This record gives sequence, structure tokens and C-alpha cells, in this order.
Amino acid sequence: MDNPAVRYLLIIGTAAFLQFTLVTQFRIAGVSADLLLVVAIAAGIVAGAERGAVVGFVCGLCLDLMVVTPFGLGAISGLVAGVVAGSLEGATVHSARWLTAAIAFISSGVGVLAFAVSGALLGRSDMLSPHVLTVMAVVGVSSALFVFPVLRVARWADPEDALLRAAVR
Amino acid sequence: MASSRRGGRARITISLLLLSAVLLLTLDGRGSGPIQSVRSAVLTVLSPLGGAASSVASPFRNAWNSAFDQGDLKKENDVLREENDRLKGDITANSIAKEQLQQLLQLVGIPFVGDTPVVHTRVVSGAVGNFGDRLELDKGSSSGIERNMPVVTGEGLIGKVVEVSENRSIVSLMSSGTFKVGFSVVGTAAIGIAQGTGGDATLRGANIDSRQAVSVGAIAATSGLAGSPFPPNLPIGTITAVRTNEAALESTVDIKMFANLNDLVYADVVLWKPAN
Repeated sequence: MDNPAVRYLLIIGTAAFLQFTLVTQFRIAGVSADLLLVVAIAAGIVAGAERGAVVGFVCGLCLDLMVVTPFGLGAISGLVAGVVAGSLEGATVHSARWLTAAIAFISSGVGVLAFAVSGALLGRSDMLSPHVLTVMAVVGVSSALFVFPVLRVARWADPEDALLRAAVR
Repeated sequence: MASSRRGGRARITISLLLLSAVLLLTLDGRGSGPIQSVRSAVLTVLSPLGGAASSVASPFRNAWNSAFDQGDLKKENDVLREENDRLKGDITANSIAKEQLQQLLQLVGIPFVGDTPVVHTRVVSGAVGNFGDRLELDKGSSSGIERNMPVVTGEGLIGKVVEVSENRSIVSLMSSGTFKVGFSVVGTAAIGIAQGTGGDATLRGANIDSRQAVSVGAIAATSGLAGSPFPPNLPIGTITAVRTNEAALESTVDIKMFANLNDLVYADVVLWKPAN
């Protein structure tokens, strides 16, 4: 249980369950929050781009199992969001709540865009319709809100990385 | 030095993960069996939980929807009152028109589903993701449902089954950008291919011979040509726009779907498979 990988798997499983049963019930303009993307972003912020990529990839695969879009699009989206979150966090010199929210907003937006662009490259040109802007906005704002509680859980999963980063800062 | 080594390792990890994702996309594109099986298994496990959660969350969901639609609701209410008065006067005219439509459909030979058996299902939940229009039905392979079977409501075609588990089915809706269906224009020899636009209730119809006279208001139904995954004569929608490209000898049309894909409660799966 002390292994970060086991803890992350537990978090991802819980997030996938909540996404499937609860989160998708509540939509704004037909768009729901993406809890799995938030987990990827939180992992990136807590432990860097590499960890964010791995956690995002697994989160995306979980999402891919629950939807009918091409299998692998979610993995790309989660991976990109995790990497962007880790890179942006690494580039900041001080910590602030608004900065964390901004990183979550930007990372999820880029993740959603990666999903839509990859889909369009595979022949799903409809994914790059104006609807994608609504998805980016709603998912971005919800990620900026949900990232704070999820960050606490990610710090529990990755205590060493979290402490190291705090010390370096 | 250590930082540079760490950065290099991170780049390799990210590249490998990206390659894995591309590999999975390729396998899925080729219709890999294991991926479909895993998706079906996950669906079997999660669906009952999703159904239960949907029932429990229903009051909260309704409150949520009301909160986000309140501004529109008042305006909508006023419009509906006005429309209600007008509709009362239109009822008589409409019933006559409906009778005429029924006669027209019979005349041109649209038996709709006819004698083909159907499975009556209840819509359990809507989409999980934010892309890809889909519905989940409360019946699956144990009721005889198979992949690619058409799904209809009383108004017409709404989509086809794309995933099946023992007691659940996933339907890809016509509005989805990946959805394609061969159609014919009732009363003419025009045929074409309609595709979802990924958003509203309009399909784009293409590949129509421009020499065929297609007019706005005409009815589009499934063509059921050889090899088509749909039986013939399932109503699709009304043609709302026609564009002709004389140089290419081709017409394209906009088709407004008969079926309302919002707030679907029940749907029928037509137990139909292509002859081949």
C-alpha cells in the first residue's frame, strides 16, 4: 500500500467509478467535468511531467474503456494534460492557488484539444466543431475547481515527490 | 547533469507512451477483438452501477438542470403559452395532415419496421465522455441484440448498436459524426449517403445524382441497398435544403431528423441483420 503505483491505481479506479456513475449526470451545455483528467493534472503538478504522463495515460485508458470514441484517444488526452501540467508547474518559481487553478485550466484545455485533434486526424472531423470550445471551457473551469481536493489525494499517493518539490521551492 | 539525465528519461517515457497510444488506436481502427471484449466486460460490470447511480442522482440532476436553465425557462414558458394557443387551433389541421402523411407513407411503401421483430428497451444513461453521441440501453445479447442492429423510436431511425454485453447495449446516435447511412428520397429514384454532423439534429446527405429531382420537404428513408447495415424504409427525416453542383453532377442535402434525440426514454432495437 506504500507503493505510489498502488495508491495511484486506487485513486484512478475511484475516479473512474465516480466519473461513470456520478459526474456525467451533471452537465453544463451538454458537457460534464472530467475527473480522470483532473487526476492526471494533479499527478503532473505533484510529481512532474513524467509521472503526469504515466498517470494521464492510465487515466485515459480507463476513460477509453467507457466511451465509444476510438480506443487510445483518451490515453493521448490524459498523457498530454499530465505532461503540460508537470511542465507548467516546473516552470513556475512560486506557488499560489490561482496559479495552480490556471495550470489546471490550461492543461485540461490542451488535453481536450489533443483529444479532438487526434480524433480529427483519424477521420472524425466533427470533433473539431465549435463544440470543442464549449468542452474546453467547461472541462477547464471544472478542472480548476476540482484540482485542489485531488491534489491532496495525489500528495498522499506521492508523498516523497510532493515533499521534494516543496523543499526545492 | 542528473537533471539532464532525468529529462532524457522523461522524454523517452513520454515518447513510449505516445507510441503505445498510437498502437492502440491502430489496433482499434482495425477492429481488434480483445479491445472490444474488454470494453464489453467493463460495460457489463459498470452498467448496473451506472443505472443505480442514475436513479439515485435523478432529483439532484433535475435540480442542477433547472439551476442552469432557469433564465431560459421563463422565456421558454412565455413562448410555450403563446404557442399552446396557436397549436390548439392547429390541432384539427394537423390531424388531417397526419392522416394524409400516413396515407402517403403507405402509398410509397414505407412499412417502417413491418414484421421484423424488435426488442423494447429503456434508455439507462447518456454519454460518459464529452465527444461521441451514444446511449446505453437496458437490454443486451441475452435479448438477442447484436452489434450493428438498427435502433428506432416511433418517429424513425435514431442509431445503431455498437457495443453489446449480456444485459446492456451501447447505441451510437445518428447525430454522431461517424454515423453513415444509405438513404433514398421517397417518391424519387434518388439515393445517397447521409452522415451525422456531430452536433445538432441535422444530417448531411451527399452523393446524390443531380439529375434526380429532390425537393425541400421530401422524406428520406433508409435505402437498404445490398450490403447496407440497415433494412429499407426506416424513416430518417425531412430534407430541409438542397444544393446542386452542376459540374460534379452531384447534389447534397440537409436532412432534419424525425426522431428527437434529446431526453429519449425508450427505444426499440430492430433484430435485423444484412442478408450477407
